[in-house]
Parts: sequence; structure tokens; C-alpha cells
Amino acid sequence: MGNLDLLMHGFGVAITPMHLMLMVGGVLMGLVVGVLPGLGAPNGVSLLIPLTFALDPTSAIILLSSMYWGALFGGSTTSILFNIPGEPSSVATTFDGYPMARKGESTRALTLAFMSAGVGALIGVIVITLLAGWASNFALQFGAPEYFAVYFLAFAAFIGMGSASPAKTLVSLTTGLLLSTVGMDTVTGEIRLTFGLDQLLSGISFLVVVIGLFGIGELLSTVQEGLRFRGVGSKIDLRDVLRTIAELPRYWATTIRSGLIGIWMGITPGGPTAASFMSYGIARQASRKGEAFGTGRPEGIVAPETADHSAGSCAMLPMLALGVPSSATAAVMMGGLMIWGLTPGPMLFATKPDFVWGLIASMYVSNLIGVILVLATVPMFAALLRIPFAIIGPMIVVICFVGAYTVSSASFDLWLVLLFGLVGYLFTKLGYPLAPLVLAMVLGHKAENAFHQSMILSNGSLEIFFSNTLVTSIMLIALALLILPKTLQLGSRLRRKAPVE
Amino acid sequence: MTVRRFHAEVGTAFATAGLGIAAVTGAAGLGFGWEESGPQPGYFPFYVGLILIGASLWNLMRAFMKHRAAVLHERNSGEIEEPFLGRENLGRIGMFLAAMAGFVIGTLTLGVYVASTVYIAWSAWRQGGYRLWVALAIGAGFTIVQYVIFEVIFKIPLLKGPIEPLLGIY
Repeated sequence: MGNLDLLMHGFGVAITPMHLMLMVGGVLMGLVVGVLPGLGAPNGVSLLIPLTFALDPTSAIILLSSMYWGALFGGSTTSILFNIPGEPSSVATTFDGYPMARKGESTRALTLAFMSAGVGALIGVIVITLLAGWASNFALQFGAPEYFAVYFLAFAAFIGMGSASPAKTLVSLTTGLLLSTVGMDTVTGEIRLTFGLDQLLSGISFLVVVIGLFGIGELLSTVQEGLRFRGVGSKIDLRDVLRTIAELPRYWATTIRSGLIGIWMGITPGGPTAASFMSYGIARQASRKGEAFGTGRPEGIVAPETADHSAGSCAMLPMLALGVPSSATAAVMMGGLMIWGLTPGPMLFATKPDFVWGLIASMYVSNLIGVILVLATVPMFAALLRIPFAIIGPMIVVICFVGAYTVSSASFDLWLVLLFGLVGYLFTKLGYPLAPLVLAMVLGHKAENAFHQSMILSNGSLEIFFSNTLVTSIMLIALALLILPKTLQLGSRLRRKAPVE
Repeated sequence: MTVRRFHAEVGTAFATAGLGIAAVTGAAGLGFGWEESGPQPGYFPFYVGLILIGASLWNLMRAFMKHRAAVLHERNSGEIEEPFLGRENLGRIGMFLAAMAGFVIGTLTLGVYVASTVYIAWSAWRQGGYRLWVALAIGAGFTIVQYVIFEVIFKIPLLKGPIEPLLGIY
């Protein structure tokens, strides 16, 4: 069957009244989560996973992914109306979105953001549809060394391509790897690194860590800044919406460029946040005439939003086909998949076509639902931010702790959330990236197993990672991603310094 | 009291290095060499721990270098580096953290329903400036919604304390 037939089959799976309801519910919950500070996409999805155990995996992933789209939309809403990015990936939207809203054109700004987000997501899903079959066939050739090489590639890309200092990314990554080794070792059956604490025997759940790092951590930053929300009016005028939609084709060049950046950053582990910044930067460089960026220029909204959403949807492809998520939220979803008893990777396409293609088809439908719903409900959700922080803050705290408790009904997890909340706050303030930590926690076991198996195959020689063309080329790309970007940066910095001195 | 960025950087670097040392010593106890069947259980954490220690030391060094540059800059220009956490911020965060820790302890002793009602009501009353009975109503309302979502709809039991049985809730 070709990809198109499979997609049609997927639509058959995705479009049932039950699934449509889940999409609407997921998008709405995602909007709430995206709008509120302290609840973002990664920990919103973490909070929801324990509640999905009763659903079948297809419905569960449709609910979770719809929530993710909703959270992305919600994040842009607060960026534009309040100058507060609800999600890290919508920071770049504040640069031009908020100034445009301040000028009294909030409907235009919101419509631009949502429509280009929708277009970006559509570009991403089309890429997934076209590449999914190919990617999974490709991945079928993988053995243990190739898998380890791919995990290594993911880690290397974070260190080389991330915006944070490489040593800080490395700290975050290795901390995640170490946390994943706590408890019973699946290969040797040995109890590791529990330091005599019985509560650690079953390991540290990455869901609990994500809720602490992203939820409590972000709340602490909000409290520390003592921020007051200064909102802009948020009434939506239908005529303005239509006028803005008619205006969209003018930005076709920006849209295509940003879509491509999003695809690249989504498939390689750059992630949506990096994609939106990069796309904004390039749009600013490419513009020649007109008002300056940062004063409410439409391209300044179109560029980051398109890239953000196309990267967000493309991140699902490596997660499904290889089992390597390229964003924190995709990592959490992959963890969910494993909890439901599915193994992400090429075999998933062969054994669970309903699941995979149902998900891909649902991405088309739920993004459409998302655009419509978000335009219809923005004033309502914007009102959420007018609730004083003294009330909404503690409520979010309670939701985070209760959500962490429901993961495995362990009281000890409450202390872990508190601890990781502090870690998340400190790490964010000091410029340690959090996404590598989450990725490493989810991939830790798989990376270690792949390494273990490769070592057994080769009798302990590292040469196995350069033993055939496939694994050698993956390793070489990984090493290039690890070393090249920072070296090039250093080189250009030295060159720029030379004439000044 | 204020916290400088330098102190925060150094503290964090020491903490992550400490985690690395803990992992290395723990892994060394399990054995990090080779045996007939392949690597011993401590192999992976041992080397990951070493990398973590190395990266932490690098961050520590960078923090010292930056600090020296900042001190020099301060001496030359007279500008004082903006503190990482000022007194006001520290107070706000401390208050929020203390209330949150209180909520956790309350949840473990009195159950989550009592703790969340008290915690939300207390913040609304003390920090939000609401009248006590309004604050209590907000807390109780939130708790009831929570009870309905978790125990009634999803049938997930949450932590309960000594008070719920008296009301006939199990």
C-alpha cells in the first residue's frame, strides 16, 4: 500500500465521533495549559498520561497530540496579548506580536499567528506523510550499533546545535542519563544507584521529573519576577480575521522559508524553540524594506509561528520511526507510548498501522480544529490570565503535585517534584537547557541497552561503531554535529575580533 | 541578603559534580569492568558519571573566569553587577517555596484535600488580599472539582488523611 492509501485508512481510524471529541477536548485542555504560566506542553502531557491508561493507545495518542497542538496555539496567544510567552517556543512571537497588538491590531496579530501556525503544522504533517514509509523502511536495517549511533547523534546534536553552552548541555544530558540508571537494571537485573533508599528501587519516573522541572520550575521563575500581567484587549472581529487571511499569501516567501527551517529543526533534534528563533533571525536578515522588526511587522509573527509548528509536528517523525524524539514534548509522548506497551521504532509501522496512520491523519484534523477553536475561544482563555496569581499560582502547584502523585501513587514522588522544581528553576536561570535532560531520561535505558548489546557483539571493541557504511556515516554525522557548529562559531568570532584590536 | 550569579554558578557546578561523584562511587561498587557476559552493571553509569564530573569542572572554571572579568569591570567602571537574586526576589521565592513545602507536608499528613483547601485559601487570603470566607470558598471549590475529576470520573484515589473517613469519603 502506498502512503496515500495508508493515510486514507488513517482518516478512517481518526474520524470517529469519539476521536473528534477527544481532539476538541485535547485542544481545549492544551489551550488552558499553554496560556497558564507553569503549565506548558511537556508537563501538561505528563499530567495527562496517567489519565490515559483507560483509553486504547490510538485514542490516547490522539488526545495527547491534540493537547500539544492546543498548547502551541495557547503559547502564542499569551505572547501576543500579554507579552508573556506561554511556551518557550513562542518567545520569538513576542518580539513583533505584542507591539502589533499594542497598536490596536490584536485581531490581526492573532490571526496571523494562528493561520501561519496552521500552515506550518500542515507543512510538517505533509512531510511526515511523505517520509514516514521511507523512514521506517530505512530504520528496519538498524541493528544495536546503528541504534546506539542514532542516540549518540541525538545527544551530539543537542550539544553542538543547542544555543546553550556545550558544557552546560553536557551536564544536563549526563544528569538525565544517570537518573535513568537508578533502580533495577533491565539487562543484568542488578539494583543500581539507589544508595539504600527503598523508594528508588523502581527507578525515578521521567513524568515526575518533567512535572517538577517544567511545572514548578517555571512557576518559581514567574514568582521571582513578581510579574503582573498587562494585557491588551482580546476581542476578535470576524471581518478583521478574514481581511488578515486575505493578506497572508503576501508572505509566501517567509512562510516557505520558515516551513523548511521548521522541518529541518524538527527532524534533527533542534526542536521547535530553536526553529522559531532561527526563523525569526533569518526573516529579519532577509527583509529589505518596510518598518523595522520588533515594531509589529507581520513577517515577524509569520516566521516564528510557521517554524514553531512545522518543527513541532515534524518532531513526531523521528519519534515514531526511530524512537528518537527531538523535542521535550515528543520525548514525554514517547515515554507514554512505552508505558502503553508500544515500542516506538520501525516495527511500529508494520505491527500497528492503525496507530501510526491514525495519529498522522489526526494531526491534519486536529490542527484544523485547533485553528478554528482558538480563534473562537481566545477572549475566554485570555481571561484566565486576569485571575490574580495569588489564586491561580497555588492551584497550578496543587495540579502539578497531584498529577505527579497519580503517576504511581507514591508519596516519595512529591518530594522529588519539589527537588526537581528547584533544579528546574536554577537550571533555567543559569542557562542549562532542560530538554536534553528529559530526552536523556527517556532514551537512557534504550541507549544503554543498545551500547551493551553492541559491546557484546564486538567483544568490547568500539570499532563496531565504524564497522559498516550505515553506522559509520551516522557516527560521522554525529561527530560533525558535535564539533562543527561551535568550532565555526569560534572561528568567526576570532576573525571578527581581529580587525578591531 | 542577595545572591550573586557567581555563587549560583559555583553552587550548581559543585552540586552536579557531587552527583557525578556519587554515581561514580556507586557504579564502582557494582563493578565497571568486563566479565564473560559483557560490561558489568556499573559500566555505563561509571563513565557517564566521569563525563558529568568533567563538564561540571569546566563550568566551575568558566564561572571563575567570568567572575574575574566582572570584578575587573566593576573596579574599572564602578558599575556593580546586577545581583542574581535581590533581597525582594529572594523573599518572594522563599515565601512561595515555604508555602509549597507546607502543602507537601500537609498532603502527607492530612491528605491532599485538606492540604489543598488550606493552601489555596491561605494564599488567596494572605497574598491575594481576599476576605477569609471568600478565600475559603475558593479553596473548597477547587478541592471539590479536584475530587470529582479524580475520584469520581477517573476513579484514581488520591492521598487521604484522618479527616475524610469522618465525612464518609474513602
